[in-house]
Amino acid sequence: MNKLFFKATLVLGIALLFAACTKETEAPVAKATTGSVNLEFEYEWGASAAPFSLHQNLVHPMTGDTLMFHKFKQYISNIRFIKPDGTGYEVPESYYILDADNAESLEIGIENVPSGDYTALEIVFGVDSTRNVSGAQEGALDPANGMFWSWNSGYIMVMAEGMSPNASNGTFAFHLGGFSGENSVVIKRNLSFHNGEVLTTNPNATPTVHLMLNPASMFHSYGSVSTGANMHMPGPKARMMAVDYHGAARVDHIHP
Amino acid sequence: MNRFLSSAAVLAACFFFLACDKGELEEPIGNAPLLNFPKDFPDPVYTGGDLPLTAASIELGKRLFFDPILSVDSSISCGACHAQVHAFADHSKALSTGVKGRIGTRNAPGLANLAWYPSFMHDGGINHLEVLPLAPITAEFEMDEDINVLLDKLRRHETYPAKFSKAFPSKEISSKTLFVALAHFQMSLISDQSKFDRVQRGQEAFSDLEARGFEVFTANCASCHEPPLFTDFSFSNNGLSVQYQDAGRALITQNTADSALFKVPSLRNAQLTYPYMHDGSIYSLSSVLDHYISGVQEHRNLDPRMREVNISADDKEAVLAFIKTLTDYQFISNPKHAEP
Repeated sequence: MNKLFFKATLVLGIALLFAACTKETEAPVAKATTGSVNLEFEYEWGASAAPFSLHQNLVHPMTGDTLMFHKFKQYISNIRFIKPDGTGYEVPESYYILDADNAESLEIGIENVPSGDYTALEIVFGVDSTRNVSGAQEGALDPANGMFWSWNSGYIMVMAEGMSPNASNGTFAFHLGGFSGENSVVIKRNLSFHNGEVLTTNPNATPTVHLMLNPASMFHSYGSVSTGANMHMPGPKARMMAVDYHGAARVDHIHP
Repeated sequence: MNRFLSSAAVLAACFFFLACDKGELEEPIGNAPLLNFPKDFPDPVYTGGDLPLTAASIELGKRLFFDPILSVDSSISCGACHAQVHAFADHSKALSTGVKGRIGTRNAPGLANLAWYPSFMHDGGINHLEVLPLAPITAEFEMDEDINVLLDKLRRHETYPAKFSKAFPSKEISSKTLFVALAHFQMSLISDQSKFDRVQRGQEAFSDLEARGFEVFTANCASCHEPPLFTDFSFSNNGLSVQYQDAGRALITQNTADSALFKVPSLRNAQLTYPYMHDGSIYSLSSVLDHYISGVQEHRNLDPRMREVNISADDKEAVLAFIKTLTDYQFISNPKHAEP
């Protein structure tokens, strides 16, 4: 009797062991392949897509302001590659600072994208609200990168600074932040590829998606820096600038 | 044979628990018995974050808290304006002095039970204990230091690299480890050994005056200064003036209805944290009570609860006696919290 009882216990114990831990003993399925993708960001200026660069006078096509940017940085996050059926691949821990002063930051290499055909890219412009309220972060989200408000916790999602004779004191500084409520400057966009272009990923190719960012668009609704050239808190105007700027981001083309 | 089977079964059972305990078992709050969260407090908001809370991380946080290396000219530490003898408020100063004699704009509050705080600063602008130090370290009228310069100073320091690797093995010195160490020390500042606490736990009794004070307090003050933390963490205008220089909570929310609202402060150790109010404009507890009894001004955002305070002259003494039962002498003399 005892023997039987112990045998039963033993069998039960082992069964439980496996039942509880199936995750670790899962049989391998046919191995899915992956590929790499490069995202290349480039700036353009205004609807005519004139060249943009730092430390150079640019005339705004709508406001007529002369603007010389010394700093132009922004956060993007939560990158997803999307298939025609709506499913997709979300790149884990995808948080990046794009910095006009650092060419390397404008080329993002993404690995382990499951092989397949993708027709759109989803990008969160800014940092999702969760990471704004989760304490000390590392990597791109390290507050030491200077894109974090110390007195009103949260990331500065877009940082544009420079000089302008149209600004009352000759300089401008727009720090767009705010991650909650109606004035959130965090904007998720689904950027579909043009003309049926398809991003095909597989182990033998590293396609590139070229994206364009248009700093001039920040001022489309906001207007001239003569009406105000400093922004250091969340609010409807920051939201307006973010909507215009992020709304202008676009996929230009894909290199297979 | 039986014996063999029995031990095999036990072994299998052990294996079962060993293999799965990470996912299956709930981690104890605070992930270590290093800190005793009081059973009669609610659950804390902050329990140590994603790096392990250890004696070494708390010790490192304490070193950093009391080290003027955090300031631009190595003149000011956190402890300079948050002194243990004052329950980690400033030394009787309305506004604190930062580097180069610069004066701040708000009163440095006492620090205790920060693990329960959903937000920090008088305007609640800081949303997490770990990112709190960034504000005083970088503020021009406090420490005025650049965070990257500070990290460099720590990396090149004679003793900090070893202390960081002891606290956070396999992690580099970074803003993350700096902030988490400071958070771990600050969360260890638990004040729960006042006379009030002992009375609640049935270990001591109030005097008649204190007991009367507790009654009056409960009827007049506790809706904002809610026990056991003696704050409800809300933002309120208490009618200090009809006009304020400081927009308070509205600086964060951009909402005019929040103008001149400030966080309800905890009254634990209030006897030691004078002067009072966001701007340190009232010097004594007795004057604070006078304000609520007869000095409340009709600010447009005045919290209506301020109009309902009804405390007689006799009862005022009783309330004062009660508030003094919130002083935690063990807290202010605990060597674990003391400047090293």
